[in-house]
Amino acid sequence: MSGKLCPTCGAEVPADNRFCGSCGNKIDAPSAPAKTMFFGASQQPPGRAKLTVIKGEGVDGVTYLLNATEHLAGRNEGAIMFPEDPLLSPRHANFVYRDGKLHVVDEGSVNGVFIRIKAPVSLAPGALFLIGEQLLQIDPSPPDLGPQPDSEGTYFYASPKRPSKMKLIQRLRGGEVGMIYRSRSDTISIGREGNDVNFLDDPFISGRHAQITMNAEGLITLTDLGSKNGTFVRINDDLALDHGDHVFLGQQLLRVEVT
Amino acid sequence: MITCNRCGKENQDHYKFCLGCGSELVKPAPAPAVESSDASMETARTVLPPAPMAATMAGELRTSSPAVPKARGGIPWGDSPKMPAPIPFQLPPNPLAGPSAGTRSTSGGASAVGALGGTPGPLRVTGGAAPASAGEIPCPTCGKMVQIGFAFCGGCGTRIAKQPSGASPAVGGPPRTMFMAGSAAPAPVAIPRGRLILIRPDGTEGGAHPLHDGENLIGRGQGPLFDADAYLSPRHAELSLGPNGVNIRDLQSLNGIFLKIGEEEPLESGDIFRIGQELLRFEVISPPQPLEDGTEVMGTPNPGFWGRLSVIVGRDVDGSAFPLFGESIVLGRERGDILFPEDGYVSGTHTRISLHDDRVFLSDLGSSNGTFLRLRQERTVATGSFMLMGQQLFRLEFR
Repeated sequence: MSGKLCPTCGAEVPADNRFCGSCGNKIDAPSAPAKTMFFGASQQPPGRAKLTVIKGEGVDGVTYLLNATEHLAGRNEGAIMFPEDPLLSPRHANFVYRDGKLHVVDEGSVNGVFIRIKAPVSLAPGALFLIGEQLLQIDPSPPDLGPQPDSEGTYFYASPKRPSKMKLIQRLRGGEVGMIYRSRSDTISIGREGNDVNFLDDPFISGRHAQITMNAEGLITLTDLGSKNGTFVRINDDLALDHGDHVFLGQQLLRVEVT
Repeated sequence: MITCNRCGKENQDHYKFCLGCGSELVKPAPAPAVESSDASMETARTVLPPAPMAATMAGELRTSSPAVPKARGGIPWGDSPKMPAPIPFQLPPNPLAGPSAGTRSTSGGASAVGALGGTPGPLRVTGGAAPASAGEIPCPTCGKMVQIGFAFCGGCGTRIAKQPSGASPAVGGPPRTMFMAGSAAPAPVAIPRGRLILIRPDGTEGGAHPLHDGENLIGRGQGPLFDADAYLSPRHAELSLGPNGVNIRDLQSLNGIFLKIGEEEPLESGDIFRIGQELLRFEVISPPQPLEDGTEVMGTPNPGFWGRLSVIVGRDVDGSAFPLFGESIVLGRERGDILFPEDGYVSGTHTRISLHDDRVFLSDLGSSNGTFLRLRQERTVATGSFMLMGQQLFRLEFR
């Protein structure tokens, strides 16, 4: 993306266009958007990356040029700082170059680092992922051990057993559990309507957004069904980033661009 | 045409349940006792989930207790939606009355009549352990006639015959004394001031446990009504019969004591209740609190959930969980916000959880089987209260 912003309506305009495609305003000189800040030189050496904050509605915010070796991000620390974002740990993540390639490293943050999936990914038990505004967790159901008496020989009374393969858990802000959906089949479709699990009030979720499948061996796979805003999974290890990757840190959605 | 015994509506001959009131219909023509018994029992089997605890002989259960939980169908009381007549709860207790000739001669097949007539049906035992014998002996405690081969009195639960340890009731055990049916019952010994009456799955009474002044320990091993219930702790409950009522205390039992709620009951976070076969836990969802370093835990923005209802499917294991929001949430089998379509013991609309005056309340919506709230702390209850302990339903009575 090498676009600029229309000063009148804010729409993105390709660099060589002389008129805004959205409002028709004449674009005179290629003036940099007021919000954009540059660290260091405006020209980046090849192989270096930049991070652009996506503000929603396709509008870009600040761009950070990653010209050093490490670039710490957090609420109170680092060159990439968002003091207003309570979901960021003071020291949250680090963007580092290793062997000439940009990696993101979770610095032990509370809320983690999420990356938009580009292909189906496998999910470990307890894995967290983001769809629209929903933070969801997948958990395979534990094997049913059958009734076990306690030390006095008393059996525990519970609701009737209804076999399920996995549970989809909605995590509310603050850490509480909202909804738990138990799936009896080996797929869970997620979206705004017409799916196994629907979030009607979440405007950032597509009609059919994502799907979870469990294979015969119990391996769980998460697939994005071509949603508009994508599906993000929390990373467990340091992850190499490519051009066009999207990373969520707290409430900040960042786009990776490698020159 | 079959005229309904309960509401008088005329129903077609092949109907099993009254179109007017839902009561089980009894064919007017006295069918052969054995056949009608089988048919009726078959109906009962298909309508009711297996309820081994209340309706099976204690001897059988003792020998097969490891298999019991597998076979359990849940709460063995009350009626299913196909048999929605909640009559038995209104019946006056009549344990001392001798059985009428009609009740006995019609056998188990007329159990609906038995239920309607308020007479405990001693023959409605599904185990088939009782030999088909015409002989009956009176219960030494309450005087009720008990069929030979029965180990316990259907009226008061007293153990009838001595039997070899661990074995099922001896088939050939002849009665020591033959009494003519309907002969005068022996004078009962001192009648206890209170009683815990077992309510069978079909709504009839299945015996009584005496409650004496002072403390009464309830638990598996504390009386014939309790001994076969693997869901009762050995020391389950303490019922203290005092001048002002019965004080019920849970002795940290595994499965607790559940009281049928009469009116709106306040709910606290962590409260557990039962509707139908469902064991549910209510919890308050608190507003997010930042951590020590000022970070807030990420998650879905709360769209107004003030509580959560979790289905308990095992010890420390939850199944589905439903968020609670708005002014009230209705639980039911067919209509409402949270549905249990597979639980035949849940009424169409059963229970409401509501938020008003900054408190959360639980109220029953006139369900057939009631809403039972687990006892949070000891509580004094009135006579006529219904309580669930282990797998069984009891009515508490005292003078």
